[in-house]
Amino acid sequence: MLEDELLKTHRQELRRGTVVLACLMALRAPEYGYALLKRLDAAGIASDANTVYPLLRRLEERGLLASEWNTDDTRPRKFYRTSPTGVELAARLMTDMTDLTASLHAMNGGPER
Amino acid sequence: MTQLTERYLAASMRGLPEAQRTDVERELRSSIADALEDRVTAGEDRVAAEKVVLEGLGDPVRLAAGIAGRPLHLIGPDLFVEYRQLLIMLLSIVMPIVGIVQVAVALSGGNDYIGAIMAGIGGAWTVGIHIFFWVTITFAVVERFDAVREARDGISGAAGRWTVDRLPALPADRISASDTVGEVITTALTIGGLLFLHGAAWFTDASGDTIPLLNPDLWSVLVPALVAILAVTGALQIVVFLVGRWTMPFAVANAVLQLAFSVPVIALALTGSLLNSAFADALGWPPLADARGPVMLALAAGVLLVTAWEIYDPFRRARRADARATGIGEPGQAAR
Repeated sequence: MLEDELLKTHRQELRRGTVVLACLMALRAPEYGYALLKRLDAAGIASDANTVYPLLRRLEERGLLASEWNTDDTRPRKFYRTSPTGVELAARLMTDMTDLTASLHAMNGGPER
Repeated sequence: MTQLTERYLAASMRGLPEAQRTDVERELRSSIADALEDRVTAGEDRVAAEKVVLEGLGDPVRLAAGIAGRPLHLIGPDLFVEYRQLLIMLLSIVMPIVGIVQVAVALSGGNDYIGAIMAGIGGAWTVGIHIFFWVTITFAVVERFDAVREARDGISGAAGRWTVDRLPALPADRISASDTVGEVITTALTIGGLLFLHGAAWFTDASGDTIPLLNPDLWSVLVPALVAILAVTGALQIVVFLVGRWTMPFAVANAVLQLAFSVPVIALALTGSLLNSAFADALGWPPLADARGPVMLALAAGVLLVTAWEIYDPFRRARRADARATGIGEPGQAAR
Protein backbone atom coordinates (compact mmCIF):
# COMPACT_ATOMS: atom_id res chain seq x y z
CA MET A 1 0.00 0.00 0.00
CA LEU A 2 1.38 3.34 -1.05
CA GLU A 3 1.73 5.74 1.83
CA ASP A 4 0.32 9.24 1.43
CA GLU A 5 3.48 10.86 2.72
CA LEU A 6 5.66 8.97 0.25
CA LEU A 7 3.39 9.88 -2.65
CA LYS A 8 3.36 13.53 -1.63
CA THR A 9 7.15 13.78 -1.45
CA HIS A 10 7.70 12.23 -4.86
CA ARG A 11 4.94 14.27 -6.48
CA GLN A 12 6.58 17.42 -5.18
CA GLU A 13 9.92 16.33 -6.61
CA LEU A 14 8.33 15.61 -9.95
CA ARG A 15 6.51 18.96 -10.12
CA ARG A 16 9.34 21.17 -8.95
CA GLY A 17 10.75 21.87 -12.39
CA THR A 18 7.44 22.00 -14.17
CA VAL A 19 6.22 25.01 -12.18
CA VAL A 20 9.09 27.05 -13.66
CA LEU A 21 8.13 25.96 -17.14
CA ALA A 22 4.45 26.67 -16.53
CA CYS A 23 5.20 30.19 -15.23
CA LEU A 24 7.44 31.01 -18.18
CA MET A 25 4.76 29.90 -20.63
CA ALA A 26 1.84 31.49 -18.81
CA LEU A 27 3.60 34.85 -18.49
CA ARG A 28 4.13 35.27 -22.21
CA ALA A 29 1.04 37.42 -21.62
CA PRO A 30 1.68 39.82 -18.68
CA GLU A 31 0.04 38.85 -15.41
CA TYR A 32 0.33 39.68 -11.71
CA GLY A 33 1.20 37.12 -9.05
CA TYR A 34 -2.22 36.27 -7.64
CA ALA A 35 -3.86 36.03 -11.07
CA LEU A 36 -1.04 33.74 -12.23
CA LEU A 37 -1.65 31.49 -9.23
CA LYS A 38 -5.32 31.20 -10.07
CA ARG A 39 -4.49 30.49 -13.68
CA LEU A 40 -2.05 27.73 -12.81
CA ASP A 41 -4.61 26.27 -10.46
CA ALA A 42 -7.34 26.34 -13.10
CA ALA A 43 -4.96 24.68 -15.57
CA GLY A 44 -4.46 21.81 -13.10
CA ILE A 45 -0.87 22.73 -12.26
CA ALA A 46 -0.70 22.52 -8.50
CA SER A 47 1.44 25.24 -6.99
CA ASP A 48 1.69 27.04 -3.67
CA ALA A 49 1.73 30.79 -3.17
CA ASN A 50 4.83 30.50 -1.03
CA THR A 51 6.79 28.84 -3.82
CA VAL A 52 5.46 30.90 -6.72
CA TYR A 53 6.16 34.39 -5.26
CA PRO A 54 9.83 33.65 -4.50
CA LEU A 55 10.12 31.85 -7.85
CA LEU A 56 8.91 34.92 -9.76
CA ARG A 57 11.61 37.02 -8.07
CA ARG A 58 14.35 34.50 -8.85
CA LEU A 59 13.31 34.24 -12.50
CA GLU A 60 13.29 38.02 -12.73
CA GLU A 61 16.76 38.22 -11.20
CA ARG A 62 18.05 35.83 -13.85
CA GLY A 63 16.54 37.92 -16.63
CA LEU A 64 13.92 35.36 -17.61
CA LEU A 65 11.04 37.62 -16.53
CA ALA A 66 10.57 41.39 -16.70
CA SER A 67 8.28 43.24 -14.29
CA GLU A 68 6.35 46.47 -14.22
CA TRP A 69 4.08 48.09 -11.63
CA ASN A 70 0.58 48.90 -12.77
CA THR A 71 -1.14 51.49 -10.59
CA ASP A 72 -4.21 52.02 -12.80
CA ASP A 73 -6.26 49.36 -11.01
CA THR A 74 -7.95 49.52 -7.62
CA ARG A 75 -4.70 48.45 -6.01
CA PRO A 76 -1.14 48.56 -7.34
CA ARG A 77 -0.07 45.27 -8.91
CA LYS A 78 3.25 43.99 -10.10
CA PHE A 79 2.94 42.52 -13.57
CA TYR A 80 5.45 39.99 -14.82
CA ARG A 81 6.16 39.15 -18.43
CA THR A 82 8.44 36.47 -19.87
CA SER A 83 11.52 38.02 -21.49
CA PRO A 84 12.78 36.93 -24.94
CA THR A 85 15.43 34.78 -23.20
CA GLY A 86 12.66 33.29 -21.04
CA VAL A 87 10.55 32.50 -24.09
CA GLU A 88 13.52 30.76 -25.69
CA LEU A 89 14.21 28.78 -22.52
CA ALA A 90 10.54 27.79 -22.20
CA ALA A 91 10.51 26.49 -25.77
CA ARG A 92 13.60 24.37 -25.12
CA LEU A 93 12.25 23.03 -21.83
CA MET A 94 8.91 22.23 -23.44
CA THR A 95 10.64 20.13 -26.10
CA ASP A 96 12.58 18.31 -23.36
CA MET A 97 9.38 17.75 -21.42
CA THR A 98 7.61 16.28 -24.46
CA ASP A 99 10.58 14.00 -25.21
CA LEU A 100 10.74 12.92 -21.61
CA THR A 101 7.04 12.13 -21.48
CA ALA A 102 7.32 10.15 -24.72
CA SER A 103 10.32 8.22 -23.33
CA LEU A 104 8.49 7.41 -20.13
CA HIS A 105 5.43 6.26 -22.05
CA ALA A 106 7.62 4.07 -24.24
CA MET A 107 9.27 2.58 -21.18
CA ASN A 108 5.95 2.02 -19.50
CA GLY A 109 4.43 0.23 -22.47
CA GLY A 110 7.65 -1.36 -23.66
CA PRO A 111 7.80 -5.10 -24.37
CA GLU A 112 10.77 -5.80 -22.07
CA ARG A 113 10.00 -6.42 -18.48
CA MET B 1 -6.09 45.17 6.30
CA THR B 2 -6.12 43.98 9.85
CA GLN B 3 -3.44 43.50 12.41
CA LEU B 4 -2.74 39.91 11.38
CA THR B 5 -1.72 40.93 7.87
CA GLU B 6 0.38 43.78 9.22
CA ARG B 7 2.13 41.41 11.58
CA TYR B 8 2.70 38.93 8.78
CA LEU B 9 4.19 41.59 6.53
CA ALA B 10 6.42 42.94 9.31
CA ALA B 11 7.68 39.43 10.07
CA SER B 12 8.55 38.78 6.42
CA MET B 13 10.27 42.15 6.00
CA ARG B 14 12.65 41.43 8.87
CA GLY B 15 14.24 38.65 6.80
CA LEU B 16 14.76 40.82 3.72
CA PRO B 17 17.60 43.13 2.71
CA GLU B 18 16.67 46.82 2.91
CA ALA B 19 16.73 47.34 -0.87
CA GLN B 20 14.03 44.73 -1.54
CA ARG B 21 11.63 45.63 1.27
CA THR B 22 9.39 48.30 -0.27
CA ASP B 23 8.85 46.40 -3.49
CA VAL B 24 8.21 43.03 -1.86
CA GLU B 25 5.91 44.51 0.76
CA ARG B 26 3.83 46.26 -1.86
CA GLU B 27 3.47 43.10 -3.93
CA LEU B 28 2.70 40.86 -0.96
CA ARG B 29 0.16 43.34 0.39
CA SER B 30 -1.78 43.45 -2.88
CA SER B 31 -1.53 39.66 -3.30
CA ILE B 32 -2.93 39.07 0.18
CA ALA B 33 -5.72 41.60 -0.48
CA ASP B 34 -6.60 39.91 -3.78
CA ALA B 35 -6.76 36.47 -2.22
CA LEU B 36 -8.78 37.74 0.71
CA GLU B 37 -11.24 39.56 -1.52
CA ASP B 38 -11.80 36.42 -3.59
CA ARG B 39 -12.69 34.43 -0.52
CA VAL B 40 -14.96 37.09 0.95
CA THR B 41 -16.75 37.44 -2.40
CA ALA B 42 -17.26 33.69 -2.32
CA GLY B 43 -19.09 34.13 1.00
CA GLU B 44 -16.39 33.34 3.55
CA ASP B 45 -16.08 35.13 6.85
CA ARG B 46 -13.43 37.85 6.57
CA VAL B 47 -11.57 37.01 9.76
CA ALA B 48 -11.47 33.28 9.01
CA ALA B 49 -10.52 33.92 5.38
CA GLU B 50 -7.58 36.12 6.37
CA LYS B 51 -6.20 33.33 8.54
CA VAL B 52 -6.52 30.85 5.69
CA VAL B 53 -4.77 33.18 3.25
CA LEU B 54 -1.86 33.94 5.56
CA GLU B 55 -1.43 30.32 6.58
CA GLY B 56 -1.43 29.44 2.88
CA LEU B 57 1.60 31.69 2.46
CA GLY B 58 3.32 29.79 5.23
CA ASP B 59 6.02 30.82 7.68
CA PRO B 60 7.02 34.42 6.88
CA VAL B 61 10.65 33.66 7.71
CA ARG B 62 10.66 30.88 5.13
CA LEU B 63 8.94 33.08 2.57
CA ALA B 64 11.44 35.90 3.09
CA ALA B 65 14.36 33.47 2.80
CA GLY B 66 12.94 32.23 -0.50
CA ILE B 67 12.49 35.76 -1.84
CA ALA B 68 15.93 36.92 -0.71
CA GLY B 69 17.54 33.72 -1.99
CA ARG B 70 18.98 32.97 1.43
CA PRO B 71 19.73 29.40 2.37
CA LEU B 72 17.59 27.69 5.01
CA HIS B 73 20.46 25.41 5.93
CA LEU B 74 23.55 26.11 8.00
CA ILE B 75 26.11 24.61 5.61
CA GLY B 76 25.03 23.51 2.16
CA PRO B 77 26.21 20.81 -0.24
CA ASP B 78 28.77 23.15 -1.87
CA LEU B 79 30.78 23.30 1.32
CA PHE B 80 29.74 20.29 3.35
CA VAL B 81 32.44 17.87 2.17
CA GLU B 82 35.24 20.38 2.84
CA TYR B 83 33.67 21.31 6.17
CA ARG B 84 33.56 17.74 7.35
CA GLN B 85 37.09 16.96 6.19
CA LEU B 86 38.57 19.99 7.89
CA LEU B 87 36.65 19.36 11.09
CA ILE B 88 37.63 15.69 11.35
CA MET B 89 41.25 16.46 10.58
CA LEU B 90 41.52 19.25 13.15
CA LEU B 91 39.72 17.28 15.86
CA SER B 92 41.73 14.12 15.31
CA ILE B 93 45.07 15.94 15.42
CA VAL B 94 44.53 18.62 18.03
CA MET B 95 42.41 16.79 20.62
CA PRO B 96 44.86 13.92 21.31
CA ILE B 97 47.84 16.28 21.42
CA VAL B 98 46.11 18.61 23.89
CA GLY B 99 44.97 15.61 25.94
CA ILE B 100 48.48 14.12 26.18
CA VAL B 101 50.05 17.49 27.00
CA GLN B 102 47.45 18.10 29.72
CA VAL B 103 48.07 14.68 31.26
CA ALA B 104 51.83 15.29 31.25
CA VAL B 105 51.44 18.75 32.76
CA ALA B 106 49.07 17.47 35.45
CA LEU B 107 51.40 14.58 36.34
CA SER B 108 54.46 16.78 36.54
CA GLY B 109 52.42 19.17 38.68
CA GLY B 110 52.01 16.42 41.25
CA ASN B 111 48.50 15.22 40.38
CA ASP B 112 47.65 11.58 40.85
CA TYR B 113 47.06 9.29 37.90
CA ILE B 114 43.27 9.51 37.78
CA GLY B 115 43.30 13.28 38.23
CA ALA B 116 45.80 13.64 35.39
CA ILE B 117 43.70 11.52 33.02
CA MET B 118 40.58 13.52 33.92
CA ALA B 119 42.50 16.73 33.23
CA GLY B 120 43.57 15.31 29.86
CA ILE B 121 40.04 14.32 28.88
CA GLY B 122 38.67 17.66 30.07
CA GLY B 123 41.27 19.62 28.13
CA ALA B 124 40.77 17.63 24.94
CA TRP B 125 36.99 18.00 25.24
CA THR B 126 37.14 21.78 25.72
CA VAL B 127 39.46 22.22 22.76
CA GLY B 128 37.23 19.94 20.67
CA ILE B 129 34.15 22.06 21.44
CA HIS B 130 36.04 25.20 20.49
CA ILE B 131 37.24 23.76 17.19
CA PHE B 132 33.76 22.52 16.37
CA PHE B 133 32.18 25.87 17.18
CA TRP B 134 34.59 28.13 15.32
CA VAL B 135 34.90 26.00 12.21
CA THR B 136 31.11 25.71 11.99
CA ILE B 137 30.59 29.46 12.47
CA THR B 138 33.16 30.24 9.79
CA PHE B 139 31.57 27.92 7.25
CA ALA B 140 28.05 29.14 8.06
CA VAL B 141 29.16 32.74 7.44
CA VAL B 142 30.81 31.79 4.16
CA GLU B 143 27.58 30.02 3.17
CA ARG B 144 25.44 33.05 3.96
CA PHE B 145 26.80 36.26 2.58
CA ASP B 146 27.01 37.24 -1.04
CA ALA B 147 30.15 39.21 -0.32
CA VAL B 148 31.96 36.03 0.63
CA ARG B 149 30.52 33.93 -2.18
CA GLU B 150 33.92 34.22 -3.84
CA ALA B 151 35.48 32.77 -0.73
CA ARG B 152 33.04 29.88 -0.98
CA ASP B 153 33.94 29.25 -4.60
CA GLY B 154 37.57 29.55 -3.51
CA ILE B 155 37.16 26.89 -0.84
CA SER B 156 35.31 24.40 -3.00
CA GLY B 157 37.54 25.38 -5.94
CA ALA B 158 40.74 24.85 -3.96
CA ALA B 159 39.51 21.34 -3.30
CA GLY B 160 39.09 21.11 -7.07
CA ARG B 161 37.10 18.81 -9.25
CA TRP B 162 36.97 15.26 -8.06
CA THR B 163 39.05 12.78 -10.06
CA VAL B 164 39.67 9.05 -9.67
CA ASP B 165 43.15 9.83 -8.30
CA ARG B 166 41.46 10.87 -5.08
CA LEU B 167 39.92 7.48 -4.46
CA PRO B 168 41.10 6.19 -1.10
CA ALA B 169 43.16 3.01 -1.11
CA LEU B 170 41.39 -0.28 -0.47
CA PRO B 171 41.11 -1.26 3.19
CA ALA B 172 43.91 -3.85 2.87
CA ASP B 173 46.41 -1.09 1.99
CA ARG B 174 44.97 1.68 3.96
CA ILE B 175 45.88 2.16 7.59
CA SER B 176 42.65 1.61 9.44
CA ALA B 177 41.39 4.05 12.04
CA SER B 178 41.30 1.31 14.68
CA ASP B 179 44.96 0.40 14.01
CA THR B 180 45.91 4.04 14.45
CA VAL B 181 43.83 4.44 17.58
CA GLY B 182 45.49 1.33 18.99
CA GLU B 183 48.98 2.59 18.17
CA VAL B 184 48.33 6.06 19.55
CA ILE B 185 46.82 4.64 22.74
CA THR B 186 49.85 2.34 23.17
CA THR B 187 52.14 5.33 22.76
CA ALA B 188 50.09 7.40 25.21
CA LEU B 189 50.10 4.52 27.73
CA THR B 190 53.89 4.26 27.42
CA ILE B 191 54.17 7.97 28.15
CA GLY B 192 51.80 7.56 31.08
CA GLY B 193 53.74 4.53 32.32
CA LEU B 194 57.03 6.40 32.18
CA LEU B 195 55.60 9.36 34.08
CA PHE B 196 54.02 6.96 36.57
CA LEU B 197 57.29 5.11 37.23
CA HIS B 198 59.00 8.46 37.39
CA GLY B 199 56.62 9.82 40.01
CA ALA B 200 55.76 6.68 41.99
CA ALA B 201 56.73 6.69 45.67
CA TRP B 202 56.86 3.10 46.97
CA PHE B 203 59.72 3.44 49.40
CA THR B 204 61.06 6.24 51.49
CA ASP B 205 64.51 6.47 53.03
CA ALA B 206 65.41 7.14 56.66
CA SER B 207 64.91 10.89 56.28
CA GLY B 208 61.46 10.37 54.72
CA ASP B 209 62.46 11.22 51.14
CA THR B 210 61.11 9.12 48.28
CA ILE B 211 63.44 6.49 46.88
CA PRO B 212 62.81 6.74 43.12
CA LEU B 213 62.68 3.66 40.94
CA LEU B 214 64.57 5.23 38.06
CA ASN B 215 68.18 6.28 38.42
CA PRO B 216 67.95 9.83 39.87
CA ASP B 217 71.03 10.97 37.90
CA LEU B 218 69.05 10.43 34.69
CA TRP B 219 65.77 11.97 35.72
CA SER B 220 66.11 15.49 34.57
CA VAL B 221 67.26 14.59 31.05
CA LEU B 222 66.12 11.07 30.26
CA VAL B 223 62.45 11.14 31.24
CA PRO B 224 61.53 14.38 29.41
CA ALA B 225 63.56 13.26 26.37
CA LEU B 226 61.83 9.87 26.20
CA VAL B 227 58.41 11.49 26.65
CA ALA B 228 59.19 13.95 23.84
CA ILE B 229 60.31 11.13 21.53
CA LEU B 230 57.12 9.18 22.28
CA ALA B 231 54.96 12.27 21.67
CA VAL B 232 56.57 12.78 18.26
CA THR B 233 56.04 9.06 17.54
CA GLY B 234 52.34 9.46 18.35
CA ALA B 235 52.10 12.49 16.06
CA LEU B 236 53.81 10.51 13.28
CA GLN B 237 51.28 7.69 13.67
CA ILE B 238 48.44 10.18 13.23
CA VAL B 239 50.07 11.80 10.18
CA VAL B 240 50.55 8.37 8.60
CA PHE B 241 46.88 7.63 9.17
CA LEU B 242 45.82 10.92 7.55
CA VAL B 243 48.05 10.26 4.54
CA GLY B 244 46.52 6.81 4.44
CA ARG B 245 49.65 4.67 4.14
CA TRP B 246 53.27 4.28 5.16
CA THR B 247 55.83 5.77 2.78
CA MET B 248 59.61 5.31 2.79
CA PRO B 249 60.28 8.75 4.36
CA PHE B 250 57.75 7.97 7.12
CA ALA B 251 59.37 4.58 7.70
CA VAL B 252 62.81 6.22 7.98
CA ALA B 253 61.49 8.85 10.40
CA ASN B 254 59.87 6.09 12.43
CA ALA B 255 63.15 4.10 12.52
CA VAL B 256 65.03 7.17 13.79
CA LEU B 257 62.44 7.71 16.53
CA GLN B 258 62.44 4.04 17.54
CA LEU B 259 66.24 4.00 17.78
CA ALA B 260 66.28 7.28 19.68
CA PHE B 261 64.04 5.66 22.26
CA SER B 262 65.44 2.15 22.50
CA VAL B 263 69.23 2.67 22.18
CA PRO B 264 69.53 4.74 25.39
CA VAL B 265 67.15 2.44 27.25
CA ILE B 266 69.06 -0.72 26.23
CA ALA B 267 72.46 0.88 26.85
CA LEU B 268 71.41 2.04 30.31
CA ALA B 269 69.87 -1.31 31.16
CA LEU B 270 73.00 -3.23 30.14
CA THR B 271 75.28 -0.90 32.11
CA GLY B 272 73.05 -1.23 35.16
CA SER B 273 72.34 2.47 35.40
CA LEU B 274 68.69 2.56 34.33
CA LEU B 275 67.22 1.84 37.75
CA ASN B 276 68.11 3.25 41.12
CA SER B 277 70.22 0.70 43.05
CA ALA B 278 68.93 2.21 46.31
CA PHE B 279 65.44 1.21 45.22
CA ALA B 280 66.54 -2.38 44.58
CA ASP B 281 68.13 -2.45 48.01
CA ALA B 282 64.99 -1.09 49.65
CA LEU B 283 62.99 -3.74 47.86
CA GLY B 284 65.38 -6.34 49.28
CA TRP B 285 66.37 -7.71 45.86
CA PRO B 286 69.59 -6.03 44.63
CA PRO B 287 69.78 -8.02 41.34
CA LEU B 288 66.77 -5.98 40.10
CA ALA B 289 68.93 -3.06 39.04
CA ASP B 290 72.06 -5.07 38.26
CA ALA B 291 73.44 -5.00 34.73
CA ARG B 292 73.76 -8.79 34.66
CA GLY B 293 70.55 -9.35 36.59
CA PRO B 294 67.65 -11.20 34.93
CA VAL B 295 65.35 -8.16 34.87
CA MET B 296 67.72 -5.87 33.02
CA LEU B 297 68.71 -8.59 30.53
CA ALA B 298 65.07 -9.42 29.87
CA LEU B 299 64.22 -5.75 29.51
CA ALA B 300 67.07 -5.17 27.04
CA ALA B 301 66.10 -8.23 25.01
CA GLY B 302 62.41 -7.28 25.04
CA VAL B 303 63.05 -3.71 23.94
CA LEU B 304 65.41 -4.99 21.21
CA LEU B 305 62.81 -7.37 19.79
CA VAL B 306 59.91 -4.91 19.90
CA THR B 307 62.04 -2.18 18.35
CA ALA B 308 63.24 -4.46 15.55
CA TRP B 309 59.64 -5.27 14.65
CA GLU B 310 58.49 -1.66 15.00
CA ILE B 311 61.23 -0.57 12.58
CA TYR B 312 60.78 -3.42 10.13
CA ASP B 313 56.97 -3.37 9.86
CA PRO B 314 56.56 0.19 8.47
CA PHE B 315 59.26 -0.49 5.83
CA ARG B 316 57.41 -3.62 4.80
CA ARG B 317 54.11 -1.76 4.58
CA ALA B 318 55.65 1.18 2.72
CA ARG B 319 57.23 -1.13 0.15
CA ARG B 320 53.99 -2.96 -0.37
CA ALA B 321 52.02 0.27 -0.76
CA ASP B 322 54.63 1.65 -3.18
CA ALA B 323 54.46 -1.50 -5.25
CA ARG B 324 50.70 -1.19 -5.38
CA ALA B 325 50.74 2.47 -6.31
CA THR B 326 53.13 1.91 -9.22
CA GLY B 327 51.46 -1.29 -10.26
CA ILE B 328 54.66 -3.32 -9.72
CA GLY B 329 54.55 -6.52 -7.77
CA GLU B 330 52.12 -9.34 -7.88
CA PRO B 331 48.64 -8.45 -6.76
CA GLY B 332 48.49 -11.58 -4.65
CA GLN B 333 51.41 -10.42 -2.55
CA ALA B 334 49.70 -7.22 -1.58
CA ALA B 335 47.02 -9.03 0.30
CA ARG B 336 47.54 -9.35 3.98
